[in-house]
Amino acid sequence: MLKDNLQQALASLNLEVAEGDYAKTGYHLEVAAQPAQMPEVAQAMLGAGCFLESFTAVDLNESFDLVYHFASFEELCRTAVHVPLGKKKGMPTISHIYPGADWYEREVFDLFGIHFFDHPNLKRLLLPEDADFHPLLKDFGASQGND
Amino acid sequence: METKTGEPLIHLGVLEEALNLARANSLWPMTFGLACCAIEMMAAGAARFDLDRFGAGVFRPSPRQCDLMIVAGTISKKMAPAVVRLYEQMPAPKWVIAMGNCAISGGPFYYPTQYAIVPGADLIIPVDVYVPGCPPRPETLIEGILLLEEKITGRGRLRKFRDVKR
Amino acid sequence: MIELLGIEEKTYTLNLGPQHPSTHGVLRVLLEMDGEFITKAEPVIGYGHRGHEHMAENRNYMQFLPNLGRVDYLHALAYNHAYCMAVEKLLGLTVPERAEFIRVMTNELNRITSHLLWFGAYLMDLGAFTPFLYCFDDREQILDLLDRITGSRLTYCYYRFGGVPTDIDDDFVAGCRAFVKRLRGRWRDYDNLVTKNVIFINRARGVGLITRDQCVKYGITGPNLRGSGIPYDIRKSEPYSAYPLFDFEIPTGSRGDIYDRYLVRLAEMEQSLRIIEQACDKLPGGPIMAEKVPKRVKPAAGEVYQAVETARGEFGIYIVSQGDVNPYRIKLRTPSFANMSLFPELAVDTLVADLVAILGSIDVVIPEIDR
Repeated sequence: MLKDNLQQALASLNLEVAEGDYAKTGYHLEVAAQPAQMPEVAQAMLGAGCFLESFTAVDLNESFDLVYHFASFEELCRTAVHVPLGKKKGMPTISHIYPGADWYEREVFDLFGIHFFDHPNLKRLLLPEDADFHPLLKDFGASQGND
Repeated sequence: METKTGEPLIHLGVLEEALNLARANSLWPMTFGLACCAIEMMAAGAARFDLDRFGAGVFRPSPRQCDLMIVAGTISKKMAPAVVRLYEQMPAPKWVIAMGNCAISGGPFYYPTQYAIVPGADLIIPVDVYVPGCPPRPETLIEGILLLEEKITGRGRLRKFRDVKR
Repeated sequence: MIELLGIEEKTYTLNLGPQHPSTHGVLRVLLEMDGEFITKAEPVIGYGHRGHEHMAENRNYMQFLPNLGRVDYLHALAYNHAYCMAVEKLLGLTVPERAEFIRVMTNELNRITSHLLWFGAYLMDLGAFTPFLYCFDDREQILDLLDRITGSRLTYCYYRFGGVPTDIDDDFVAGCRAFVKRLRGRWRDYDNLVTKNVIFINRARGVGLITRDQCVKYGITGPNLRGSGIPYDIRKSEPYSAYPLFDFEIPTGSRGDIYDRYLVRLAEMEQSLRIIEQACDKLPGGPIMAEKVPKRVKPAAGEVYQAVETARGEFGIYIVSQGDVNPYRIKLRTPSFANMSLFPELAVDTLVADLVAILGSIDVVIPEIDR
C-alpha cells in the first residue's frame, strides 16, 4: 500500500505524519517538516513514485507556511507537506530532484519574495522583471502596484 | 472624423470617397487575441458567423500587413509595451477595435487594489470602436466592424448613397 | 576550410512572440538557434497575468465564482465544478443527484468543445485550414445547447454552491441526443481529413516524445500523460460527482509522441459522448439545489484541496479559510503550468517547425499558466 510505504519512509526521517481526513480536506497524509529537511522529503517522495502536484505559500502575517502536495499515478494517496518558514528566511530548492518545482519556486519568489538557495534561475516569472513588489503578501499596499 | 494621421493635406474629392469605401470593405485584422475574447473572434471568423462576407476575413499575423487591430482580451502591464509597439508598426491608415470589457475598461479584473492590468486599451492606444461583452457574441463583433465601416466611409451600409443621420 | 577563412560559427537568439499566430495566446519563447536547430528554448510567461489569486483574497466566495470561468475559458465548467466542490466540502453541503447529473453532462459537453477547438487550432498551426471550419461548426452546435441553459457561450458561471441554479428541460436532453448522433457521424470525416493524412502523420509521428520519467518529475497530467501510456484520469482514480455511475474508458497511447496525444484526444471525445448518452438515459428527477445553502457563505476555518480532470489535465484548487467571508488564500494548480515547464526540455535539438507542432500538442492555454 502506497500510504503505508510513505508513512514508513517519512517516519524514518523523523517527521510527524498524521492521517488526513480525506472527505473534508482531500488529503490522505499530512506531514509537518522543517525547511532544511525538505530536500530529503522530496527524495523520499520521488523514491516512492509520487509526483509534485502543487507547491505554494500562505502568508500568515508573522511567518509563511509553504505547502507541498504530492500524489501518485498508480494509487490514490495525496500527501500534504507543511513547512513553516520565518519571514526574511530562505528555503532550500528541490528543483534538482523535481525539475517541475523550478517554475513553482520562481512563482513563489515572484508573489511572496521568498528566496530559494541554489535555484538555477531564480528570477520573476509572472510579473515584469523590473517590478519591485510582491503582490500576495498580506501587507502589500495596492498603491505600490498602480500607476 | 479623425484618423491617427489627422486631417489630410490634399483633398481628393470623389476619389477619397472611393478609397474610403475600399478601405472599409477590405479591413485586414491582425491576429491579436490576448485572452478569452480571442475565441469569440475566431468564432466570428469561422463558418457560422463568417467575417469574410464583410471583407474582413483575412487575418494577418504580421502588423505590417494589416490595418485593423482588434484588441481582444485583457492587457496586462507586462504586455502593454508590446501592444503599443505593435500599434506603431501598423502602417496608416489604421483603426483599433477594443473588443470585450477588459479592453474597454479592465473588465472584471479592475478593482481598486489591482496591480496586474491596464484598465482599458484606450489608455495606451487610440481606440475607434468599443465592443462590449464578456465575451461579446460574434454577432456583436460583426456589429462593431460594421460600425467601423460606417465611421470610415461616413455613410450607412445599407443606405448606400445617402448620409447617415447621427 | 571554415577555420582557414576565419569564419566563426555562433548561435543566435530568435524571439517568438508574444504576438505570434502559433503560440496560442500571449507566450514568448526565446530561442537560441544553431542554424535551423534549436539549442535552447526559454519560455517567458506572465503576459496574461491578471491577478486571480490576489482577487480571491479581496472578494467573498460568491464574488470569486465568475473568475474561475476566465482562468481556462475553454473548459470553464470544470473549473467552476472544482471550486464549487471545494467550497461545498468546507460548508458540508450535499449536492442532490439531479444536479450532479446536470453538472456531469454540461462538463462533458464543455470538454468536447475544448478538444474540438484544440483540434481546429492545432491543425491551423500546422497549416491546414479546413479542419478549423469543421470543428467550429460542431462546436457551435454544443454552444447553442449550453447557451440555452447557462446563458453564456464561453466563460460559463453556471454552477452554484449546492447545485445548479436553472434546470435543464426536455429540449436540452433531446438536443444532446441529436448532437451525440451527429458528432459520431463526423468521426469518419475527421479520420479521412486528418488522421490518415500523410502530411500530418509525417509531422506527428516520432516527434515530441514524452517519457514516463519526465511525467513524474514535471507533474504532467492529462492527454499528454495518457499519450505516454499511463492511464491516470482523476475521473477514475479519484472519482468525484456522479462519475462513478457512468461506464467509460480511459484511452491511452503507447509511444508518447504527438500522434498518440492526438489520438487520445479524439478517443476522449468519443468517451465523453458515451457519458452524455448514459446521462440522458439515466437522468433522475428531484431538486437541483441542496437544502439550507447559507446566504452568506462563511465556511469554518480549515483547508481543502479538490482536484478535477479538465481537458488539459488535473486542475487542483487549494483553499485556506480562516472563517471569514473572504477566502484567506486560494491557489489554482493549473495543468498548463506544469505541462509548459516541460517544454524547454522537449524543444532541444528540434527544428522550428517541429517546435510549433510540439507546443500545440501540449495544449496550453496561456491565461491558465499566468492566472
